[in-house]
Amino acid sequence: MNLFEQMVEATVDEDEERCVALAQQALDEGTDPFQAIQEGYTQGMHIVGEKFARLDCYLPDLILSARAMNAAVEVLKPRLMQRDDHGSQGTIVLGTIQGDLHDLGKNIVKIMLQAAGFTIHDLGYNVPVRQFVEEAEKVGADIIAASAILTTTMAYMPDIAALLSELGRRDKYLIMLGGASVMAEWAVEAGADGYGENAVEAVEVAKRLMREKKGGERK
Amino acid sequence: MIGFWDIIGRSESGPLVKEEEFDLQVGQMARHKVEKYGIRYDPEQVIPADDDLADRVYQAGFDLFLELGIYCRDTGRLMKFTRDEVEWALKYAPTTVTYGQGRDVAVMTYRAVEDPSPPFCLMTPVGTPVAEERFVPMVQSYVQEPLAQTFSSAFSQTVHGRPIKAGTPQEVEAAIWNVIKLREAARAAGRPQIGIHNLISNAEATDATLAAIQADLGVQPNDGLCIAATAELKIDYERVKKVAFLRHSGHNKYALYGPLMGGYSGGPEATAIVHVAYHFLGLLALEAQWHCGFPLHIHHGCNTTRELLWLVSITAQALSRNTHLLVTVNTFAAAGPCTEMVVYEIVASALAATVAGADLDLVAVARNRHPERASGMEARIGAEAGHLVARQGVTREQANEIVKQILPQYEAQVGEAPIGKRFDECYDLEILQPTQEYLDLYERCKEKLSGFGLDYSLL
Repeated sequence: MNLFEQMVEATVDEDEERCVALAQQALDEGTDPFQAIQEGYTQGMHIVGEKFARLDCYLPDLILSARAMNAAVEVLKPRLMQRDDHGSQGTIVLGTIQGDLHDLGKNIVKIMLQAAGFTIHDLGYNVPVRQFVEEAEKVGADIIAASAILTTTMAYMPDIAALLSELGRRDKYLIMLGGASVMAEWAVEAGADGYGENAVEAVEVAKRLMREKKGGERK
Repeated sequence: MIGFWDIIGRSESGPLVKEEEFDLQVGQMARHKVEKYGIRYDPEQVIPADDDLADRVYQAGFDLFLELGIYCRDTGRLMKFTRDEVEWALKYAPTTVTYGQGRDVAVMTYRAVEDPSPPFCLMTPVGTPVAEERFVPMVQSYVQEPLAQTFSSAFSQTVHGRPIKAGTPQEVEAAIWNVIKLREAARAAGRPQIGIHNLISNAEATDATLAAIQADLGVQPNDGLCIAATAELKIDYERVKKVAFLRHSGHNKYALYGPLMGGYSGGPEATAIVHVAYHFLGLLALEAQWHCGFPLHIHHGCNTTRELLWLVSITAQALSRNTHLLVTVNTFAAAGPCTEMVVYEIVASALAATVAGADLDLVAVARNRHPERASGMEARIGAEAGHLVARQGVTREQANEIVKQILPQYEAQVGEAPIGKRFDECYDLEILQPTQEYLDLYERCKEKLSGFGLDYSLL
């Protein structure tokens, strides 16, 4: 079993200690840390994500695997920071929208996006629209992602695109919307560039949006 | 005795725990209880008839609650309870709840496993979004159902033509509008004093909710509110504010729990244990008079899959056999109105719940997320199935055999369930009755269900 395969196994096994040790081994051996994440830990999380989709494992397993991976990424981070993109697929400001105290779905999306290599700034729940925008400006986000479970809180979602437009910043950010009450068609009407029916779809949409952004296909 | 001030005190003085750690503890502890009590989900025993299993699920839920406690999100503290405190609360929990006035009085009472008395039937579109002009007709389609004993609300997408946003002044206006329109629907249905079990479903903020609880708006003294716990086993002050209000207003209150199977709890067995524990949370922290559960499949957003039917049935049996709590199951179907699938899902759920000693909260359809997809006809389907189970004297073993014949009619389609027809497509709005197409579809399904062992001639 090569180093990457061991990383996959350790991630699937939720073995944080082993994930960290393998990350250190990668550094010691001069292995490209980005490659270690992509071909090792992320592959492991991909397997866990698929198992979760089939309910062959459950949310705590997903969380513990993600923790193990994140601990390894922390070890690799100093070397990753030497890359222009810091080894990140993109930066996302994420939260449950104003008035909404539900965050379980948002937390699952966060785990899956982190596992896919995105840098996440989690603003938690009950996040005012202004805060999404301010945080995005502060961290230089690529994507603003908002979740809503209630119809009355969903009503705030169009305000994200509207506020960005008002500030002349609409083209700077991609917007992703999701959550139990949000439908695909409505999300588009609300100004979203992407919509995720579930966490797996949200990751695919985020990847696609970033590809389009990097390829200059958007706007 | 644990009262309101004890809850507040413990929320301010219990041990500090990070929310993420609590979330993980729920799953770890539930998994441990599954092993300790030897609880196993058997896909062939969708409606189990194993009393010992039901009792073990109850004991596991009780132990889990004592060891884990309740998490208060506002203070980040754990609230713990002793066995004596929980047992005392159970001993003195309400045995009846009365809704409505005059000839519309309805009394919810405890039901035993395989109880020959019919289930109490609460009917509601469960906050399904609907156009403002169709709000009253949609709600009326539930109230006018003869088996409806209480009702609650759809969700009007606008009020006075304006969208509603949580936490705004217009939300207060919307909550008041909602209450006025609910009573209007009851009057239009010729049941002016029927009880409303949840007066507000279009306001998240407590101030908006409380602003609408006024007799002059049509609110009766024993109408009520629902207070929801947060997944899993958490409360927050925004909701506990409602408890404070209702203690003094005297309106009825019930607690709402939606544990996610596949979520923090884990699989069906662990989620069943957590679901039982939720009832102690509701009793102690939310002072619930009755309990409404809607456990959901984390990916499918419904509770009509095989595992969820098992979970619903075993938890209701566990609670019915070991307490006199008033336990209700809120069916969440994957399919929408005027589909054969929704009929089969609702009947399977009504069987699993009724025979287990639960009452029926009918019904969320189309995963409760597609606008205009809800009608009183689905509530009728569930209530008739529930009454039939009691009238026919269906046992758990018989119910299991029937459900095992129903499940193949839809379980392969749960992931891609049809959302069905809009309210104005499956009801004739002139006379506010289901279309002939919908009635014919139901008749065809009833014929098939009769072949499975449900004797619809007894209705």
